[in-house]
Amino acid sequence: MNQLNHNRNRMQPLLLTIMSSLVASILLIIGINVFNDDTNIVEEKDQTTDQNIWPREVNALNGTISILEKPERILTASVGHDELTVALVKLDKLVGVAGITKDQTYSNIADLVQNIPEIDRDPENIVALNPDIVVTSEYFPEESIQRLNDLKITVVQTSLASNIEEQMDTILLLGRIYGEEQRATQLVAEIDERYDFIDSIIQQYNTSEKKRVLSITRYSDQIWAAGSNSTEGMIIEAAGGINAAAESGIKGNMTTSLEGLIEMDPEIIIITQPRESGGDEFLEDLVTIKVTQEIPAVLNNKIYFMETKHFTTLSFWNIRGIEELAKLLWPEDIGAKSFGGFSLP
Amino acid sequence: MLSNITKWDRKTTLRARLLLGVSILSVLLSSAILVSVSVGPIPISLANVLSVLLSIGPIETTLHTPLESLIVTELRLPRIIVGIFVGIGLSVAGVTMQALFRNPMADPGIIGVSAGGSFGAVIAITLQLDKYLFISVPACAFIGSLLASLIVYSFGHSRGQLSMPALLLAGVAVSAFFSSLISAIVVLEKDTNSVREILFWLAGGLDSRSWEHAVTAGPLIILGALLIMFYSRDLNLLNLNDDDAKGMGINVNVTRPFLIILSALLTGMAVAVSGTIIFVGLITPHILRLIVGPDHRILVPLSALTGALFVVSADTLARTVIQPAELQVGMVTSFLGAPFFLFLLVKNKNRLHNL
Repeated sequence: MNQLNHNRNRMQPLLLTIMSSLVASILLIIGINVFNDDTNIVEEKDQTTDQNIWPREVNALNGTISILEKPERILTASVGHDELTVALVKLDKLVGVAGITKDQTYSNIADLVQNIPEIDRDPENIVALNPDIVVTSEYFPEESIQRLNDLKITVVQTSLASNIEEQMDTILLLGRIYGEEQRATQLVAEIDERYDFIDSIIQQYNTSEKKRVLSITRYSDQIWAAGSNSTEGMIIEAAGGINAAAESGIKGNMTTSLEGLIEMDPEIIIITQPRESGGDEFLEDLVTIKVTQEIPAVLNNKIYFMETKHFTTLSFWNIRGIEELAKLLWPEDIGAKSFGGFSLP
Repeated sequence: MLSNITKWDRKTTLRARLLLGVSILSVLLSSAILVSVSVGPIPISLANVLSVLLSIGPIETTLHTPLESLIVTELRLPRIIVGIFVGIGLSVAGVTMQALFRNPMADPGIIGVSAGGSFGAVIAITLQLDKYLFISVPACAFIGSLLASLIVYSFGHSRGQLSMPALLLAGVAVSAFFSSLISAIVVLEKDTNSVREILFWLAGGLDSRSWEHAVTAGPLIILGALLIMFYSRDLNLLNLNDDDAKGMGINVNVTRPFLIILSALLTGMAVAVSGTIIFVGLITPHILRLIVGPDHRILVPLSALTGALFVVSADTLARTVIQPAELQVGMVTSFLGAPFFLFLLVKNKNRLHNL
């Protein structure tokens, strides 16, 4: 008995050491994730371009996928994929879209997809729509993919990047998946042209002339700032601004405080949450709270609402966000210019 | 005569221990507050913090800048004060429930009172009542906590007797029930922004807390905690068994529900201004029991101070460790609390068996 107790006494510090090691490992993993800026891009750029050859293989996030014939019934399961797909194929090929894609606030194609069935991630509901192919992001549950594969439905997972170059790679990959390579190349050229136009404006200015821009939202009293590697951050930089949150060390979208906003010292604040969903209250607080009066953007009345759908989606529609922000940043060059939507197939 | 002297000695010892505990914890809490006020994305020296604090009173000082004054008085102090109230509320509710349910695992989070409070608050957020009436979220949180407490209490009765296992099992069931209702609201709610609001609120935290929050929750938490302290002798007896408590003149059928309502009030108010911050109500009383013993006359007031110290310290870490970004305070309370609690268990296992 004494031996048993003795052993227990020896075990407890050991267990504590193991638990401490686990905690240290978790911290290490978090640290690696926080400081690792690389994204998991698996998509292949140089794939066969003949759009009439079937079956074909594509390298996707869920491995090498064989597509037997040109998909006629396509189901996509995220706003980003829905927006990309609508830009590549005729609308009647879409048999299901994500529910949020029908929401005008978050989707740039809400008007177009109102009559298309709304899907969820339940394999049974997906099967009921009888798709040839399901295109989705890396967040789609692996078990659901397995079940769909068991039912002979092809599932392709592709990443949805928050920078334009990778988005163009995704468009080319989707073009190959859908057998619409020409249309994909056309769309990429269109995006490239619009991106280059903004870039040509920015190139005229030195870094010292660029303004510090901060993209923020507030939900349930938590203020979220968009730092490096965020979609909003990418848009700010592409529009010729300096991302104030990234400069202060914010990575991705993280919560901060009013004090954090003062420290970030932005010259322009953009609010990307809908006005009716707390945006107006947030603005009112920003301009009335005494302590925020020290922020240059507040002091100079440079707080702007931006279209949520241009800043939250992970598709080429971010270009519209870049264009609208560039208009604010470089009013003398493009302040009066109006930018439209994108071409459709 | 000898008996009287012993009784007097005991009282003196009790008072001395209480005084010592209160003194130590007050010094620690004051230090934590001073550190918390001085650190943040914009560093403010301790001298300037003191200058600001003095200038709040009648003493005019010029050491600090106007911005430092605003940061201290409008941002950091209200957040710290709310943290103190939340710490007091959750830890006093925890120690009370552990005594009432005679179970060391009883905690507002575990027996469903926090889930009830969260449900009430989620209803208020979903119906956007908070846009019309600031008090609606705390009020609904309190109603939810009270409802959960009453359900647990009523199901815990068997043939007129309070059954502790039944109480705890009812608590677990009620917690699961309210949690599933919250999940259903999140799934069924079509408004994406409401869902965001709910999820961020459920994550808990002291972000952007203002004097308004302090004024909303503070007085009721302090009142509830003081009333529970007044009943701390009764808690000692209720913690033993109902017969002994009745023998000592306690009306168990009145005192127990009253104390349950007070616990619900404390939990509801804390949850209303901070979301669900876990672990505070469970570990602070346990840590103190290991240090000062099980007497609630000491345990309750010291739990209040320790809870405040714990939440203020955890929140200071939460808002400074990756500044200018912030962590959720609940993340820090769990991260710090769990290993420390295990460490104490290992160090004091012999003493723990006797509690």
